[in-house]
Amino acid sequence: MTNHVEGPLNGLTIVELSSGAGAAYAGRLLSTLGAHTVLAEPPGGSLLRHRPPFLPPSGEGAGEVSALFAYLAAGKASVVCDLATVAGREDLHRLLETADAFICDVPLAQRAGLGVDEAGLRATHPHLIHVSVLPYGASGPHADWHGEEINLIHASGEGFLLPNGLSAEMFPDRPPLKIHGHFAEMQGGVVAALGALAALLASRQGEGTAGEAVDVSIQDAALAVGAFAIQRLGDGSLEHRLTRSFKYGGVLECADGYVQLLTLEERQWTGLVELMGRPGWATAPDLADPLERSRRGAEINERIRAWSRTQLTADVVARAQTLGVPMGKYASPAEVLAGAHEAARGLFQSVDIPGAGPADVLVAPFHLDGGALRLRSGPPALGEHQSILSGNRRREAAPRAVGAR
Amino acid sequence: MKPLAGLRIADFTVHAAGPFCTHMLSQLGAECIKIESSLRPDIFRKPHPVYGRMGPASFDQVAANKLSVRINLKDPRGVDLAKRLVAVSDMAAESFRPGVMQRLGLGYDVLSALKPALVMLSVSSSGQSGPDSHFAGYAPLFGAWGALGSLTGYADGPPVEMRHVMDHSVGMNAAVAALAAVYRMRATGKGSHVDVSAREVASALAGEAMLLAAAGGEPARMGNRDHEMAPHGVYPTAQDDRWLTIAVRGQEQWLALLAAMGRRELGEDPRFRDAAARLRNAAALDAQIESWTGTQIAEEAVVRLQAAGIAASLSATTADLARDVHLRDRGTIVDVHDADGKTRAALSVPIRFSRSEAGLARGTPMLGEDEDYVFGELLGMNAAARSELIESQVIY
Repeated sequence: MTNHVEGPLNGLTIVELSSGAGAAYAGRLLSTLGAHTVLAEPPGGSLLRHRPPFLPPSGEGAGEVSALFAYLAAGKASVVCDLATVAGREDLHRLLETADAFICDVPLAQRAGLGVDEAGLRATHPHLIHVSVLPYGASGPHADWHGEEINLIHASGEGFLLPNGLSAEMFPDRPPLKIHGHFAEMQGGVVAALGALAALLASRQGEGTAGEAVDVSIQDAALAVGAFAIQRLGDGSLEHRLTRSFKYGGVLECADGYVQLLTLEERQWTGLVELMGRPGWATAPDLADPLERSRRGAEINERIRAWSRTQLTADVVARAQTLGVPMGKYASPAEVLAGAHEAARGLFQSVDIPGAGPADVLVAPFHLDGGALRLRSGPPALGEHQSILSGNRRREAAPRAVGAR
Repeated sequence: MKPLAGLRIADFTVHAAGPFCTHMLSQLGAECIKIESSLRPDIFRKPHPVYGRMGPASFDQVAANKLSVRINLKDPRGVDLAKRLVAVSDMAAESFRPGVMQRLGLGYDVLSALKPALVMLSVSSSGQSGPDSHFAGYAPLFGAWGALGSLTGYADGPPVEMRHVMDHSVGMNAAVAALAAVYRMRATGKGSHVDVSAREVASALAGEAMLLAAAGGEPARMGNRDHEMAPHGVYPTAQDDRWLTIAVRGQEQWLALLAAMGRRELGEDPRFRDAAARLRNAAALDAQIESWTGTQIAEEAVVRLQAAGIAASLSATTADLARDVHLRDRGTIVDVHDADGKTRAALSVPIRFSRSEAGLARGTPMLGEDEDYVFGELLGMNAAARSELIESQVIY
């Protein structure tokens, strides 16, 4: 049985105005860590509610339910604020009165018209931390540029470097590849959550730093996690997808799927030789030298691949880990969901998804104090928490509260 | 002033993921003291021939801005010295295999008894608990275990290895979780143990596919294709190995793209009438797009398409990024000076604050470079005491 713990940000309130995965993931991380996170949605709902992939319909007449929205909005509250109207903008301001931070991905050119520009909010909410998440950030010559995930994973450098290894060998002439899903945008979300927390900590140090504006660019964030390539450039090497493969190992095809093998250390190579049953080619004296193995990587890989095709993934991975050989199966999402390790750690939580019924949603990739965090709820129905507004209205004269619940 | 000024970290992390986390926190203002020894320097401080050069392969990018001390944790007096350092720190960070810190006598139980308000961060491949917690792994294995690897790739090809971006994603997530714990510690005085699992970070980055699978769907590799956008892809240009990315979300952008291509007549083609039709006929559509992109200079096309309101980018090489005017303007890419006086491009922390400062203040420390400050000033050790510990290879 997994222990559950209370999120450390309990008592904080975040208001989120998002149409992309980056800002939404920032809100999701803070929410799962305990912050009360309120989605301010237009009358038709966040654009993310209409973004694929969609969950299989729960019954006849059921509308489309976005898996992307359900994942990113789980645990949040929803309040409709029609920012095209004066009343809607007032509603948003009412929400912001009790908020500690505001996460916003509205394009720069539209912000003033909707009353969510940083300067305007600074005047009305001097203590509010304003977190902007945009494809190329809120400043600089490209601040107004448009960017979807595929543009941004390539604008940040990792796209050009993919695929590598087996896939690059098989298809050397194909265009470079994106990572699955919303990888770059979600890096922007992680960095925005980090920026919000840093600003919140700074604001505890004194009035001088209250009301910080945090400017996050998805391009910057995705580039930051690709830091290694910049380091290599400074060393005099320009990385390329066709040459950055491991000399041997990598993605291996087995009889029933794929595994990943990476032996960086000498004892791991020795373990691999053992795992393969000490074949004559691998025990040849010259291959005891790591530089010689590196030089003859292609030849070694042919042998390893011929061997791996005769292996079953579960069996070979279990034996590899016993021998200290870093090897793992390329798990499908269904296999991760069914994993004993994930179950023991409470990685997934069954929540109700309006329009689709109960389903397991990934909670968070970290534990605190030996226990898993908990989602407060599934994703909200549109406007499900509209009553927050009347609560705030009653509290208008009261001192700034923590938590809008 | 930097936002995390006043936060001190005793940093036991090694390799990439953990050190990247504390590297980010140090650029946000934390005072990060990296603990190594001559017996066990960070493996990334050493030459690493697998990456094709004899210098440290990636150390600067995760160790710059930190302070460095030597402590031999194999010696009980070294463990005592480490505890003294933790006692004057707010946070301790480590990224050994689960169990190693306990065996060293530096587990959370010991350290939190010493300092109840301590935030301890542990970063590992599979987390501190669960049947696979002992697994050894590197970035490509995190991606494999976490399903992000099996979801990435051409539809007719194999899974794709996640490389350093995976390590650093883990580090960035760890920084978020650790700061949340620090926030509570500052507010309530309560310490905590933060346990970050790298494979779970990989799964979380594909959380929507996990949910789809949980509900009975079957997410699969789809190359550069999108569920709803077409055109959507990486297209060849007139230059060898220079690629242009284009993503068209709505009808307005589709018509703008056709105008930019000088191919307005395609707007009348029933195969490309709306997004659904374009998705069904994606191969024919891509052939049309390529016939235009194949005549273009990538960087010029990006500027023209952006001006027309279309999401387009260069598939940038690292050299493109190092000289990019936008990234330079934002201070994301900065120049740093190596010890030999040479200048190189480096990445700053990817967050801009309106009031606080952030970023690199100093380069990579030599092993033990900051012992006068750390052992002398912070721990108040006199010269004789330090000499004795150096001679007995505790500070070593």
